[in-house]
Amino acid sequence: MKKFMFIMLVAFLSAVLVACESGSGETTGDETEAIGQEEEAAVDVDRVRMLIGSTATGGDTYQIADALSRHAEDVMETNMQVDAVGSLRAFDELGKAEDDGSTIMFFHDMSYLGVEYGSFGEEAELENWTIGPIVATNPGNAFLTNADAPYDTMVESAEWLSENPDETITVAVESGGVSQIGFDGFYLWVEEEFGTDVSDRIHAYVTGSQEDKNQALWDGNADIIHGSIGANEQYTQDEVEDRIKMKFLGITAGERMEEIEIPTFAEQGVTVNGDEFIFDKEFFLLMPEDIDESYVQAVDNAVEQVVEDPSYEEDLVTNRYTVNHMSAAEAEEYLLDKRDNFRYIIENAPNLDDIAR
Amino acid sequence: MQFFEILTPMTILLCSLGVFIGIVMGAIPGMTATMAIAIFLPITYALDMIESIGLLIGLYVGGISGGLVPAVLINIPGTPSSLTTTFDGYPMTQKGEGEKALKVGVTASVFGGFFSLAVLYFFAPMLSTFAIDFSSVEMFLIILFAMTIIASISKGSLLGGIFSGLLGILISLIGTFTINNETRLIPPGFESELIYGFTLLPVLIGLFAVGQLLEEAEKGMKASAHQKIKLQKGDTKSKFSFRLFKNQKVNVVRSSLLGTFIGMLPGVGGSAASITAYSQAKNFSKNPKELGKGSPEGVVASESANNGLIGGALVPMLSLGIPGDSTTAILIAAFLLQGIQVGPLFISSNPDLWSGMVFALIVANIAMFFMMFLTVKYFAKIVFIPKYLIFPIIIVACVIGSYAINNGIMFDVWTLLLFGFLGYIFPKLGIQIPSFLIGFILGAEAEKNFIDTLQGSGGDLSVFFTNGPVAIVLWILILGSIIFSVADYRKGKKEEATYAS
Repeated sequence: MKKFMFIMLVAFLSAVLVACESGSGETTGDETEAIGQEEEAAVDVDRVRMLIGSTATGGDTYQIADALSRHAEDVMETNMQVDAVGSLRAFDELGKAEDDGSTIMFFHDMSYLGVEYGSFGEEAELENWTIGPIVATNPGNAFLTNADAPYDTMVESAEWLSENPDETITVAVESGGVSQIGFDGFYLWVEEEFGTDVSDRIHAYVTGSQEDKNQALWDGNADIIHGSIGANEQYTQDEVEDRIKMKFLGITAGERMEEIEIPTFAEQGVTVNGDEFIFDKEFFLLMPEDIDESYVQAVDNAVEQVVEDPSYEEDLVTNRYTVNHMSAAEAEEYLLDKRDNFRYIIENAPNLDDIAR
Repeated sequence: MQFFEILTPMTILLCSLGVFIGIVMGAIPGMTATMAIAIFLPITYALDMIESIGLLIGLYVGGISGGLVPAVLINIPGTPSSLTTTFDGYPMTQKGEGEKALKVGVTASVFGGFFSLAVLYFFAPMLSTFAIDFSSVEMFLIILFAMTIIASISKGSLLGGIFSGLLGILISLIGTFTINNETRLIPPGFESELIYGFTLLPVLIGLFAVGQLLEEAEKGMKASAHQKIKLQKGDTKSKFSFRLFKNQKVNVVRSSLLGTFIGMLPGVGGSAASITAYSQAKNFSKNPKELGKGSPEGVVASESANNGLIGGALVPMLSLGIPGDSTTAILIAAFLLQGIQVGPLFISSNPDLWSGMVFALIVANIAMFFMMFLTVKYFAKIVFIPKYLIFPIIIVACVIGSYAINNGIMFDVWTLLLFGFLGYIFPKLGIQIPSFLIGFILGAEAEKNFIDTLQGSGGDLSVFFTNGPVAIVLWILILGSIIFSVADYRKGKKEEATYAS
């Protein structure tokens, strides 16, 4: 009896195996392709720690990293955890990380601007990492002022300063960050257009978080602050109390955002060294320098699938960000060029210590 | 009823679960409410907005309240804001009144919680611009005001206390000066470890827990007097009764108000709330000598203030989009992940969410009260565990907490051990640990507001005196607090001398 049961069990299992095999043989061409792509996007590590260059869980870096990791972890068949450790620590840990892809970094243009401005050491240079794909843009990188300020655009603020020789303008920015490059572009344009008489009356108020910059505006410690459409649009609504109401003076992106009428720096005529000033804040991945090529390929494939997913786009649009995709290879060439283009501004910009009030 | 329309049974369940997890995490030295919320943040994405707010509010209330347990029973502040709870809570335990101290703390916490909730509910829209009327000048002065407690808690030597506070401030400045990203005061060879300075939690629990353990080891781990006596000695004095709060009405209201008010100011950390409340309880007490020796008055002040902080910190968050403390900063992230902007229009454009938050706070405070009040007698038995068993457990919890606080940094464990060693030798050198810690906790915030003020005024120091009537009132309070503390200290010295002779 036992023998009979054993034979029956073997026969049953064989039948199941055969059925499975014939079933898989019926896979359509599309399915095979999809499975192939998924396999290429899968990585060997069970857990990927995505360090971000910001400690704020309410900022654009965290929000985009969160959306990317939630969508990419299934495709990559792993668990992804966003870790808001801040820029210096993120670079430090990425430098010490294993090359197996269990630790990667997600950040934006500050990763190379910080090196150029001297906020990060040379060891954080783009050349010391494997640059991954670009995944999103925050087109709302902006400057704002109080709603009752006597100017409505960045250019008008410079004209106002020129017409009122006893006045000064103080701009709240973060040292070594994306806000500083926008400020420097504006400063150099004022210097070229109106001369040092006017540009010398522009001061910097150096501070950190967005909340600190908002507070600086409300306190009267700053006249103009760096901000973003996502974070500051709510303060520009009609229903907001006059005491805290703000207005946008311009965005640094190349194109206006749909439905929001804020002129770009370029539209206003802000140029540096003869070129329009355009700065798009772009978000990308960085990986250890010696990471395996197959891992980079898997990340590239995963991101390619994620950016096609409408729910990823929906997540970004909710907070006024846009999908912007470039593969790792394209991103490397693009970001190195972008960095070279902004070197002129950084080399000619004033030292914040000298122009801080 | 609107309450049940907005808060589903699932939300109530999640909120209560949050309170439970928060209490447990708050009670483990090195784990905080901020950490609890950060851990659960990614999970909230899968939940409905009101459910996720219920869970997070529960974690917030539980996390803040849980810190009371180790502060009272083993003299280790579970969270930085329960530092002042140790001043009287632990001496009460040593007198055999551990259960009473815990019940006093829990009751004061729930008072503070509901007081600040009432302020939040009735005044949040009105107070929207109140927080920004306090510029960096006033915030600096409030932190200075909180620091005056150093004068009133100095034991033995006033100068020693002030020196300890200044040493704490100096150590807090180690790291990166964020204005120009330059590092400072870092000993050679530690540039990468100390780039952000010492982390607060390992410093706090190292000084208290590890330092205390080494001191006990020196004595030989014999059972302390309070381990031999019963927690409830049977006499009515050591039993808890709600009547105890009859004489504490002013203290409860003043401390809850201070907690709520300081919570509203974004540039002033949460720990300043309980420190200021404790300091004022001592200044206004009929028996200031008793504070620090095991007086329920001190526990009431500290605990009602740190729970009062919760509603206060939510005011600028919900009316301005500015987080009142590090925990509310993560709460903002929970809203943003769901695409909801928290700012001046939040209450008017999200009435259901606003009501949901208020209801969740009510549920969380009630759940916290019952969970803690009814289990206090079990928690309180911790003090009977022999030291050779409890100390290894405490050390393990402290090491895990320190390692976890920044997601796995070994240097935080070394910090814990280093400050543990310092906690052992500081008292022998005359350095007072509570004053040192207050300097350490408030130092960096004081500096930030000081620098912000000078940047705004172009380096003119007179702005601290000319910024308006609020600044003048704060200067009067600071001076009054210092004069009162010094006079009180001298009177005590005189009495001691008379007694000795």
